[in-house]
Order: sequence, then structure tokens, then C-alpha cells
Amino acid sequence: MKPAPFQYLCPRSVDEAVDQLARHGDDAKVLAGGQSLVPLMNMRLARPRVIIDINRIDALGYLHDDHGVLHVGALTRQRAAERSPLVAARCPLLRDALRLVGHVQIRTRGTIGGSLAHADPAAELTAIFAALDGEITARSARGTRVIAAPDLFVSYLTTSLDPRELLVEVRIPALPPDAGWSWMEIARRHGDFALAGVGVVLAGRRGVIAEARIGLVGVGPTPVRAARAERMLNGQAPSEALWAEAADAVRAAVTPDGDIHASAEYRKHVSGVLAQRALREAYSRARMAA
Amino acid sequence: MRVDGKNTFAAPVETVWKQLIDPAVLRRCTPGLKELKETGPDTYQATLVIGIAAVKGTYAGTLAITEKRAPTHCKITLDGTGGAGFMKGEGTIDLEPQGGGTLLTWAGDLQVGGLIAGVGQRMLGGIGKMLIGQFFKCLEENLGGGA
Amino acid sequence: MAVHPITLRVNGREYSGQAEARKTLADFIREDCGLTGTHLGCEHGVCGACTILMDGEAVRSCLLFAVQAEGADLKTVEGLADGDRLHPIQQAYWDHHALQCGFCTPGFLMTTVAFLRDNPRPTEREIREGLAGNLCRCTGYQNIVEAVAAAAEALASGAIAQAAAPHGVVPRAAVPAPLPPARAAAAVDGIVRRARRRRKAVAVKKTSKRQRKRSR
Repeated sequence: MKPAPFQYLCPRSVDEAVDQLARHGDDAKVLAGGQSLVPLMNMRLARPRVIIDINRIDALGYLHDDHGVLHVGALTRQRAAERSPLVAARCPLLRDALRLVGHVQIRTRGTIGGSLAHADPAAELTAIFAALDGEITARSARGTRVIAAPDLFVSYLTTSLDPRELLVEVRIPALPPDAGWSWMEIARRHGDFALAGVGVVLAGRRGVIAEARIGLVGVGPTPVRAARAERMLNGQAPSEALWAEAADAVRAAVTPDGDIHASAEYRKHVSGVLAQRALREAYSRARMAA
Repeated sequence: MRVDGKNTFAAPVETVWKQLIDPAVLRRCTPGLKELKETGPDTYQATLVIGIAAVKGTYAGTLAITEKRAPTHCKITLDGTGGAGFMKGEGTIDLEPQGGGTLLTWAGDLQVGGLIAGVGQRMLGGIGKMLIGQFFKCLEENLGGGA
Repeated sequence: MAVHPITLRVNGREYSGQAEARKTLADFIREDCGLTGTHLGCEHGVCGACTILMDGEAVRSCLLFAVQAEGADLKTVEGLADGDRLHPIQQAYWDHHALQCGFCTPGFLMTTVAFLRDNPRPTEREIREGLAGNLCRCTGYQNIVEAVAAAAEALASGAIAQAAAPHGVVPRAAVPAPLPPARAAAAVDGIVRRARRRRKAVAVKKTSKRQRKRSR
């Protein structure tokens, strides 16, 4: 249970990190929070020859609001974002989902950027990112590029990031004013990987839904946007019947795999149940009268 | 776990069959295949480096093509062991003409054990299907498929 | 593999050594600092036996490399007691029989220190959630939950101003004389009372079952 030997590099700036990535590329892995990478290394399932520890790049740890978009430095700790008054005010959906990421000790070190770059199929942050149409900025020796949510996640543990690229910033739009939100997930024990998780945002005017966002995780290799369910909700007056209809649309949008933790049928069914509950809760938090 | 699927190719059955049992195509299309050495008729010694993202393992084992009923049916068995675990798979492939091309139906059983299976249980099924899918996609590209 | 000189500050003291970059912080603390109170349970971030405080926050030391901890203020279980005087949290664990084999206990204690600093008046549910990252195979957790509740009470009414201390580090000078058993404290949370009633009910059931068996 000890990791294989590796060369340890500890850049102090993004430029330095990017330069090291350019040189070591395929042989290197970026070490941020380490809560996903180090277990793999300890079990020798991953044996990167070079580790680029970015934890001392202070410039990557920030969280601020700019014109309705949260700018989150890649190294921002999940626990810091969870407890941030700015996140609570501008994007409580993110806070609610973060509370269920692993355990406190994991969130103390785990980072926002790391979670997205690692792209675990059960990672809450990926669903939030997809649901809210977030963006990331990646830096490499070749320059800077922006990757939008629909283009980031490719498959299990795989993003469209090149091994020589460093994710430096995550941008998440704030929730619309008066919007309701809800994060619901189901896991066998607190802190376990979610068997299915749903994030919902509802906003409306004069008692009619004007914006609906539904993002799911744990139901496939990448997070899923239930686009058809969202379109179905738009322009409708909220009701229990509507939530049930949306739940069916959500079920139709997912084709999960089964495993020893839960069967495919269960995950599909529970996606709908969670979506229904989340829509109900999001509506209860929304202000749609005016 | 059971895995199965269907693929279509623009080429006729005989052409697809020839590609399927050609070791050169196997070398090119099998994901992670690093070495393929023929040790007997339709039997090969294989070394695979398979994984997802940072998690990669080297597996050494054998690949065999049996039950050959040219050009419509065969069975492929693959087994390998490595530091991270072992894998054992066997699958049948059936070809039949469809339109001007070929419909390939495959079905198999894939077992993965050891550390990688214990830790990666929740992703193994999906990843297994994905890797098999990659094989057939490569075959498709070789033959100009997707009719 | 290259060897790095490493100096760590643990429990207010400096420890220097040499280690490969791949040596985990847990291993360095145990082997190079000689502080074996921090335990290795799973070494992949699940069990929490390796939990220590790094700059006041609970972290899994098996998922950190020793080189990463240079410059940080580390606290392990050895830094809790003041000589023979147990830290109030340790005292509460002791009083409430919250340990049996003791293997998970250092991890639980360090998690509790950070938890109660951040949430000084937790509900039972919050305690269970706060401790969810630590596994125990012996106790069934009930006594641990009671101990944390009692510790919260003791800290709140005790002389320690944990919140005032930097990085959650308990200043040694502020540790008071041993506290009376928390059970005696009138203000103890309903958790302990309820648990006692539950245990009593079970005992009564067992006794009457035994009596019924004997009378046959």
C-alpha cells in the first residue's frame, strides 16, 4: 500500500507548472487535493513517473464573483467553497452538493478544479457544472483555451483536457435571482459515491416556469443534462403532475450501468424519484409569483 | 458481466470475416495491445496495457480464435493476468448479410478480478463495454462501416 | 528515487528527516518523528485512522506526502494531553467508553477536535455526520457519539476558549483540572439521557426474559 517511486516537482507558478507539463506530458500527473489520485497511487493502480504538485501555486486559490459568474481558482478547496458566504449567496446549489462530497477530511484537501479534471462518474461537482453550463480555462505551453461544460467530459475519468494542460479556473454562473434549487442524491452510506444524484434549478415568472435545469450524476460515464425534461418544463405551471411527468422524461434520458452497488434498473428508477423530489423542493424555494 | 452489441459494416460478409481474423487488424484494433505473437494456429500470446486515465495495468496472456465457421461465426477467448488483477473474456461473433453490407452481432462474458475489480467495481461494466466498442469502431474504420 | 530533506512542525515541535517524495505524511510521522499514535488502517482514504490536523483542519495523512507538509502546523493525538492530564475530548471518550481496541481512536479524536471547534453545539445528527469519515469496528459508534456530545458540553462550560486559539490548537496552559464525569453535569445533552433510557429498557427486557425462562 505504498506508492511506486516518482519524480517530485513542485512549481510555484502556473507558468512553471505548464512548462513542466510540456516537458513530462504523458509521464506526469498533476497533484492537487490528492484525494482521488493518491489512493490510486497507494494501491499502485496508477504509477505516474512524475508528480507535479500544484499545491504551492497560491495564485490558483481564489473565489470571487464577477458580473454574475463565480470565478473559482482550480486550487480552491471544496471545504472553503462549501463554507463561502459568496457561494451561499450566489450559488447555494453548489454549497448543497459540496456538503455531500465525501467527508469533511476529503473536502479539506480536495479541490474544485481537481474534481472536474478527475471526472469521476459519481462526482457531484460534474453534475452541477453541467447543469449550470459552467466553463473552465486550461493553460498549456501552447496557450490558453476555454472548455464549456458540454465539451469537457468525455467518459469515465476522462476529460477533453490534454495531459499537458493545466485546469486553472472554473467559472460557474450564479443562480438567477428568485430561482429555486435542490440537490438530491442517494448513497448507501453518508459519504459514499452517489448511486444517483440530481441537481435542479427552477426559475419563473407569473407562476410559470421560465428556466429549468436538471443535471444528473452516477447514471453514466459522464454527467447528464436532462434536456428534454427541461424543455418540457419550460412555459408550464408547476404542479405535482408536472413533476411526475418530468421524472419520466428524466428516466428516459439516462441509460445507467448496473454494478454490485445498484442495478441499472434501480438507478434509472431512482433518477426519476430524485428528480421529482428535487423539482418539488426547488419550486418551494423559488419565487415565481411576480 | 455480460456484454453484447451490434455493428454494421458497408463491406460484404467475406471481407469483414477476413479482417476479423487477420492478426494485423487485431494488432491495430485491440485497445492497449502492445504485443501479439502467434504461438499456434489461431492462438496468440498477447500483452495488453489497458486502463482509463491514470489507472493503467499491464496484462499478459493468451488470445485464441475458436469455433471458426467461415465466414459467419467464430469465438474469441482472451485471458490475462497482471499486477492489478486478472481478466477473462469470451465472446461469440456472428456475421450476416444486411442490405449491401454486413450485420455483426457479438455477445460475451467478461470477468475481471483482483485489486482493479475490487476498487473499480462501479465502473468496470461500463469501461469494459467501452473498450470492446473501441475494437469494433476501429474495425468499422478499417472497412468503411456504419451503413 | 531522490531523497528530500524534510522538516515538519508537529505539536509545536520541529522534526527533521530525509525521505523519498513518495513517503506519506502518515509514515513520516510514525517512522521519522516517532509519533506512532497516528494509525494506518486502509491507506486509501476511507477509514480515517490516519486523521491529523494540518493548519487546524482534519486531513487524511495517508493521502499526503511528507514533502507536502513542510511549513504547515501539524497536530497529532500526542499533542492533545497535557502531561498526565487528558484533553477534555479525550476525557469524554474515556468517561463514555468510546473506545475498545483504540485503533480508530486517535483519528476520531483529531476529527472531533476540528469538528467541535467549527460546531461547538452540535445536534446528534450533526455529530454523526461530522464523524462519518471515521470508521470504528468495535464500538458501534453509540458511545463515541455520546462522548462527543459530552465533550461539547464540557468545552462549552469549561475554561478553555478553543475558538480563541489559533488554528484550533489547544494552548497547553489553558487545559483545566480534570473535569467531573460529564454524566454528572446537569446540562448534559438529552442524547446521553435517551441512550441511558434505551439501555435500561433493553436490560429490563433481558431480565424479565430471563425471569420468564427460569419460572418455566
